[in-house]
Amino acid sequence: MTETATLLAPAGAARRAPARGDWRKRGEIALLAGPAIVVFVVFVILPVVMAAFYGFFKWKGFGFPDDFIGLENYISIFKDPTFRSAVGHNFFIVIASLVLQGPLAILFALLMNQKMRGRSLIRVLIFVPYVISEVVVGTGWSLMLQDVGALNSFLGKIGLDALAQSWIADPKIAMGTLMFIISWKYIGFAVILMLAGLQSIPEELYEAASIDGASFWQTQWRITLPLLGPTIRIWAFLSIIGSLQLFDLVNIIWGQYVAATAGTSTMATYMYLNGHLAGNYGFGNAVAVVLFLISLVVALVYQRFALNRDTAGALTGDGGRKKR
Amino acid sequence: MNARKTWLAALATASVAAMALTGCAGGSKPADENSLEMWHNSTTGPGKAYWDEVAAAYEEETGVTVTMVSVQNEDMDGKLQTASNSGDMPDVFMSRGGGKLADFVDAGVVKDLTDLISDEAHTAFGDAAFAALQVEGKTYGMPVAVLPQGMFYSQDLFDEAGIAEEPATMDELNDAVSKLKDAGISPVALGAKAAWPAAHWYYGFALRACSEDTMQNISVTHDFSDPCWLEAGEELVSFAATEPFNEGFLTTDAQEGAGSSAGLLANHKAGMELMGGWNAGVIADLTPDGEPLADLGWFPLPAVDGGAGDPSAMMGGVDGYSCSADSSSACEDFLDFIAKAEWQEKYAEAYNAIPASKEAQAAVTDPLLQEMMAAYNEAGYMVQWLDTLLGQNVGNALNAAVVETLAGSGDAQSIVDAAEQAAARG
Repeated sequence: MTETATLLAPAGAARRAPARGDWRKRGEIALLAGPAIVVFVVFVILPVVMAAFYGFFKWKGFGFPDDFIGLENYISIFKDPTFRSAVGHNFFIVIASLVLQGPLAILFALLMNQKMRGRSLIRVLIFVPYVISEVVVGTGWSLMLQDVGALNSFLGKIGLDALAQSWIADPKIAMGTLMFIISWKYIGFAVILMLAGLQSIPEELYEAASIDGASFWQTQWRITLPLLGPTIRIWAFLSIIGSLQLFDLVNIIWGQYVAATAGTSTMATYMYLNGHLAGNYGFGNAVAVVLFLISLVVALVYQRFALNRDTAGALTGDGGRKKR
Repeated sequence: MNARKTWLAALATASVAAMALTGCAGGSKPADENSLEMWHNSTTGPGKAYWDEVAAAYEEETGVTVTMVSVQNEDMDGKLQTASNSGDMPDVFMSRGGGKLADFVDAGVVKDLTDLISDEAHTAFGDAAFAALQVEGKTYGMPVAVLPQGMFYSQDLFDEAGIAEEPATMDELNDAVSKLKDAGISPVALGAKAAWPAAHWYYGFALRACSEDTMQNISVTHDFSDPCWLEAGEELVSFAATEPFNEGFLTTDAQEGAGSSAGLLANHKAGMELMGGWNAGVIADLTPDGEPLADLGWFPLPAVDGGAGDPSAMMGGVDGYSCSADSSSACEDFLDFIAKAEWQEKYAEAYNAIPASKEAQAAVTDPLLQEMMAAYNEAGYMVQWLDTLLGQNVGNALNAAVVETLAGSGDAQSIVDAAEQAAARG
């Protein structure tokens, strides 16, 4: 900031001038960033600190916690096989989301980047599931996928009874069902991101490639994908974080109690069940801290190894400026 | 000039933010002799109208104004908890006893009413109704209704399957299940998605297997070493093995929509359902025309051979009202007021429920309720819902374990283990 202030002040100007500018600048920053910082500290930082504090207590949620039990909550979390399986489900969802949605989204985006009839209609159709609220999506799918729901009776009507399944309750199928619904729900978002990325690739590169006689697939492989890299990495980051924090769809479709049995429980549904519903708020806060730390570690590792090229400068201060 | 404007704007923003942030922090209000705030769980219909009528009548008689606040049933516990932490408890609030009430007692936010409730109310209600709202021998609430558990069934479907009599023993129930199956009807509707309806079956078997003392003391001891807890689990497993429940019961809701277990009964898609006394009303809402189900019948949970429990014992819940610790004496006076036979009779009509006061029982005209009430009056004793009795922590773990077992990934032992583990954690 001082660097900027010095640059703004003409050399040899009176001493007061830069100082005044300095204060004005500070006032502006305080005005513009102040409310956001206050809200961020009060509603994000403070709750995280409080959760970490509550996590060390056996606490029923009444009054101030006074039954300090050290790391006992954390020990019982890691000893609990249902928590470990919930973590397993989360990481499965992380990987499966990337593997399923990534390539599909790129293909859809390539398709919709072509000039063709009904392009905007298809765009809207793919994007619609993303804007429908999770509650509506969850309720809708859970009604259709019941054992005696629409899908099974449709299969029965067209003579495919053999394909009818217990889509939600059968632990062998449930995770697949969840992945299908997640992909259907969130692929629209991925496609829109990829499309935006595609539009920012300069047309000249494609012209040059076609003059050089590159085939369609060569063009995509050599030009589109590498230049789409930053978009893909950002999308993957959002997808990973979303998968780690997945709660609403699972909670609505499976309910808190059946999720673990069906093999679709996540860390967040575990926290809701064993913290809030069981009234063990100290324990629930400890789970929240574990969930936060896992997400944080994943996010930092991803930042360090995948995103560092894209975000250099934005997050690392001087690093970016020196390169310029 | 410019800079001054900027600073003024900053100041304004900061003060607005400060007001917004501190606006919700109200202090604890002083006890006021002349007004009461009451939270009940009726958001619409005759239940809400009943409480408004009570408030008007009470104000006319005593001059104390009662502000009625309707709170959505599912939000009640959470809102009360928040209110207790901010020192902003309503004077009168709904209470269902058990572990949740015990948590409030622990936190010191509920008033001990043992010596404050009038003798008239004590005689009119009897000890059984009060027992549900007691913690360690002290009374913390005034009961208004009892909601005993039992089997709701469709007479038409029973006729269709050729079931002549209401099953009174487990063997007869198993027989009814197979007759319904032969007739192509789902025998028993079960909304296991919410867990507690499934757990009700386990509680029912425990009620038959365990002695009265074992059941009543479990809320304090949290000791599941008595073999009856395992027996109850085994009964559950062998009953489940006859596949009595509707297809896809694991992901069936209990009370929401036509596909829920109550909805299955309301639409003649299942023969019977084990449920609490409120079920007739829930079923009525889910019939195609929204009218009460004409052929709905009721019988108590069948007896099980050889258990230590009284075969006539019932499980159920009690709805009641408690006073907050810092409420004025108008609160207990108000509770005595609603306990009068006149208001209990009106309650029974408005809620279509069994009133807690025996003097008001004559107001019950619905034949189904009368049958339920007769069984309740003859019952050796009534035990609170086990999950309420045990409190959220153990109750919740027990419910979840029952669902696991019904899903085939647990057995009788795992139910007991889960309850013991949770007891150790809480």
